[in-house]
Amino acid sequence: MCGGDRSPATLREWHEALNESRFDTSEIQRVRGTNDIVPPARAVQRSVEDRLLALFNLYGYEPIDTPVLEPTDLFLRKSGEEIAARMYSFTHWNRNLCLRPEFTASVIRAYVNHLQDRPVPVRLHYAGPTFRYEKPQRGRYRQFTEVGVECIGVGGPAADAEVLAVARHGLNILGLSNARFVVGHLGAVLELLTQLGMDSGAQSLVLGVMEHLSREPGEQQRVVGRLAAQLGVGDEEENPEASALADLFRAFGPEGAERIAGDLLEQANLRLDEGSRSPSDIVQRLLLKAYRPDPTPGLARAVEFIGRLREAAGPPQEALPALRQVLQEYGLDDAPVREVEQALIYFDAYFACADRVHVNLSLARGLRYYNGLVFEVYDEDDNQIGGGGRYDDLVRALGGRAPTPACGFAYGLERVIAAMERGEQPASANGNAVALVVPLSSEDYSAAAELATRLRLQGVAVEVDLRFRGAKASLRHADRAKIPFAVLIGGQERADNVVLLRDMRAFQETRIPTADAAGQIARLTREVAAV
Amino acid sequence: MSVKMKARSKATHVAADTGPLRLAVPSKGMEDATLVFLRACGLPVDRSNPRQYRARISTVRDVEVTFQRAGDIFNKVNEGSVDLGITGYDVVAEYRNEDDRVLVVLPELGYGRCSLVLGIPESWIDVTGLHDLSEIAASFRARGRELRVATKYTNLTRQFLFDHGINSFSLLESSGALEAAPTLGYADLIADITSSGVTLRENRLKTIAGGTILTSEACLIANKDALARSPEKLERTRVMLDAMESSLRARPYLSLTANVQGGTPELVARQIVSHGEVAGLRGPTIARVFPKSPEDDGDWYAVTVIVARDRLQEAVDALRRAGAADITALQLSYVFESKAWSYEALLRALAHDRNGVEA
Repeated sequence: MCGGDRSPATLREWHEALNESRFDTSEIQRVRGTNDIVPPARAVQRSVEDRLLALFNLYGYEPIDTPVLEPTDLFLRKSGEEIAARMYSFTHWNRNLCLRPEFTASVIRAYVNHLQDRPVPVRLHYAGPTFRYEKPQRGRYRQFTEVGVECIGVGGPAADAEVLAVARHGLNILGLSNARFVVGHLGAVLELLTQLGMDSGAQSLVLGVMEHLSREPGEQQRVVGRLAAQLGVGDEEENPEASALADLFRAFGPEGAERIAGDLLEQANLRLDEGSRSPSDIVQRLLLKAYRPDPTPGLARAVEFIGRLREAAGPPQEALPALRQVLQEYGLDDAPVREVEQALIYFDAYFACADRVHVNLSLARGLRYYNGLVFEVYDEDDNQIGGGGRYDDLVRALGGRAPTPACGFAYGLERVIAAMERGEQPASANGNAVALVVPLSSEDYSAAAELATRLRLQGVAVEVDLRFRGAKASLRHADRAKIPFAVLIGGQERADNVVLLRDMRAFQETRIPTADAAGQIARLTREVAAV
Repeated sequence: MSVKMKARSKATHVAADTGPLRLAVPSKGMEDATLVFLRACGLPVDRSNPRQYRARISTVRDVEVTFQRAGDIFNKVNEGSVDLGITGYDVVAEYRNEDDRVLVVLPELGYGRCSLVLGIPESWIDVTGLHDLSEIAASFRARGRELRVATKYTNLTRQFLFDHGINSFSLLESSGALEAAPTLGYADLIADITSSGVTLRENRLKTIAGGTILTSEACLIANKDALARSPEKLERTRVMLDAMESSLRARPYLSLTANVQGGTPELVARQIVSHGEVAGLRGPTIARVFPKSPEDDGDWYAVTVIVARDRLQEAVDALRRAGAADITALQLSYVFESKAWSYEALLRALAHDRNGVEA
C-alpha cells in the first residue's frame, strides 16, 4: 500500500487507528430515490391506505399480497421494454430476479398460480412498495407505493366502469373530487397497426412513442425517422457487404434466392457454422429481411393516425363523434368508441362527473399489456396520481389456462398524499395519542399504568410519561407533541383518590375521581376526535 | 431538508489530510502515452528507474506518482488511497455509482481513445444493426435460449441492451480472450474495448450499426473528500489542472509571426483583420521593426497571430496577401486563460457536494 511512510508513531495511535477501522461510526444514508416514512408522515400514509382498502372492500375486492421479489421473466413477457429497462434486476446465484416494478403482473401471476378455479370475476386489491430505477424528481421516487385493484375474468364496459368508479370513489373520500380522468382505448391504434402488418416489436415501438407524440405534436416527421431507424432502416447502408447480398437476393426473386443462397455463401467462403446459430437459420433470416417491405410508410401512417386521434380528443360529447369520424376515415371498426361511450354512461351512473372526464384515444400507458380501455387520473395541478386499464391477454401470456379478460387500476400513494397536501383537506391521521398520562414521580407510576390500561381498553390512545420530570416539563411535552389532554397523577392526587385532567387547548384543569377517570376522559377525547 | 453527510468508506476515513498529493497513473497499456502527456503539460514524471512504482513530478512540489493497473485506479481514487488518478473513461463509466466519491475533473486528455462495441460473429450476415439483434434475442427466447453476451463491462452493456429494446439476454462476466468466446461457443457475442478493430476482425467478429456502447479516452479523476479536506492538496491540484488544461488548449493552435510593411500600426492592423483567417484569438499583436540598414525605406511591423493548426496554409496565404514576408510558425506550449476553468468547476462540484441536499 502506498502511504505506508506515514505510520503511526506510538502504540496508542496504533490502537486508535485500529479501533477506527473496526468501528466505522459514520452516518449511513438511505439509498437514493427511497424514503424513510417517519412520524407523523407514516401515520398519514397508513390512514390513507387503510381508508382506500376499506373502500375497495365495499366493492367486493379482497386483499391479496405478493412478493416484492419476482423472477425477472415475469415482467419481460408483456410489460414492455420501457419497464424492463428500469427494473432493479440482478442475478442471485444464477437466477434472474428483480424487485417488482408494478403490481398487476404479480397479481396475475398469483391468480394463475392459485385462483384460476374461482368463479369469476375474481376481485383483488393490494397495497405495497414497487421499485423503478428512474432519475428521482419531485414526486417521483425509486421506491413508491401502489394501491389498487384488479378485476379478473370479465370483459366489457361494465367491468371497466366499475374500476373507474372505484378509482373515482377513492379520490372522493380523500377530498380529491376535483381529480380529472383521461379515458382512452388502445383498440383503435392496435387494430390499425395490425392492419399495417406490423409485428409485435414494431407495434411496441409505436405504442412507446404515443405519449411523446401527444405532448409534441410537431414531431411527427422526426418520430417516423427515428422509429424506422430503430427498425433497422439504414443499417444496411453502413454495411456494404450485407447490402450487396440483400440486393442480389432481391434480384433473384424469393424462390431462386433460397435455392442459390447456400451455394453462394459457400462460394464466398463465409463460414456460417462458426457462431452459435445454424447456417440455415442465418440464411432464412437473411432472405426474410431482404423481402421485408420498408416499414417507413406504415410508420408514417400510424404516427399520422395517432396525431388525428389526439386532435379529436376532448370532453366526451365532442370527442366521441369526432373519433367515430376518424376511425371511419381509416376504415376501422368503431368498437373502441362504443366501448368508451358505454363505460362512461355506466361510470356516470356511479358518479355524475362527466365534466371531469376527457376522452383521448391517443392515450398510451407505459405498460405494453394494455389492449382496451385505459385511463389516467390527474389532480388539479395536472400531476398524475393513478391510472389503469384493460389487459385481456396478460393472463394467457403468464400461463393462464383459458383466455381471461381483466382490468384494474392503481394509485401512486405518495402522489395521492401529495395532492391531498396541496388541496383544501390536508391528509391527517388520528393515530397519535390523545392523552398523556403523567406519573409525577416513580411512586405514581403504578397508578398511571393502571389508568392508562383502563383508557386503552376504552379505545383511547394514551402515552405514559416515563421520565418522572414533574408537571411543568411534562405539560411542555404534551404541548409540543400536540396531545390534547394531560392527566397528572402525583402523591397528593393519589391521597385524594383523584386525577388532574388538563385540557391543553382550553387551559382548563379538572379534578376527577379516580374511579370515574377512565370513562370521563374517554368521553371527552371522543368529543375532541369528533370535532 | 438536511445537510447530507455521506457515509464514507473506512479507507477514506483514516486517509491522511496532509502529506503529498497522490496521483495514480496506469502502469500498463496507457503508461507511455500518459508519461508523454504529462511531459507535454510540463509535469514530467521523474522516476529513478523504469521499474520503480513510485515517482515524483519535478515541477510541482509534493506530488507522489504511483503506477497502478488502469482498472484499479478508479477504486483506489474512490476509497481515497490516492487523491488523483488518470485512467480510461470506460473504467470510470463502468465502475462509478451514484454514491461514489469520485469526480471526473478533466474528461478528455486527448489520448487512449477507444470504443466499447458489440462484436458480432462475421457469420451472422443477416445482422447489420441493433434491431436484428433484438429480433434474434426474441427468437432465442421463443426457443428457450438466451442471447449470451461475454464482457468485462457488465453494467454498461446491460444498460445499453435494455435501452435498445433487447431485454432477453444473459451476461457472461469474463476477462481476457473475450474475442474468442463466440468461436469457442461459450457466448453468442461480446462487448469489448477496441481502438482499431483489428483484434475483432482477427477473431472473425464485426461491429454493427448503432453498436457502439461508449467512446472513451484517458481522463483525470479525483477523490472529492481528499481535496475538500486539504487546502494544500487542492492548491497542488490547481497547479496541475492549470498546466494540463492550458496545454490541451494550446494543441490545436500555432503562433504565426510575420513582417508586414505599412504606414502606421493601425493601417497594418486594418489590413490584417480584413483578411479574416488571420484575425487571431482577439486580434493581431503589432510591434514596430527597426530596420538594420538606414537605407531600408518604409515602415516594417512584426505581426503575431494565433491560428488553428488545420488552417495554417490559409493563414499563411492570407498574410501574404496582406503583404507579409518572413513568416514563422511556432508550436504553442500553453494557452492560459484568465482562470483554470476545470479548477473552477472542481470547486463548484466540491461546494455542491458539501451543501448537497436530497430532493
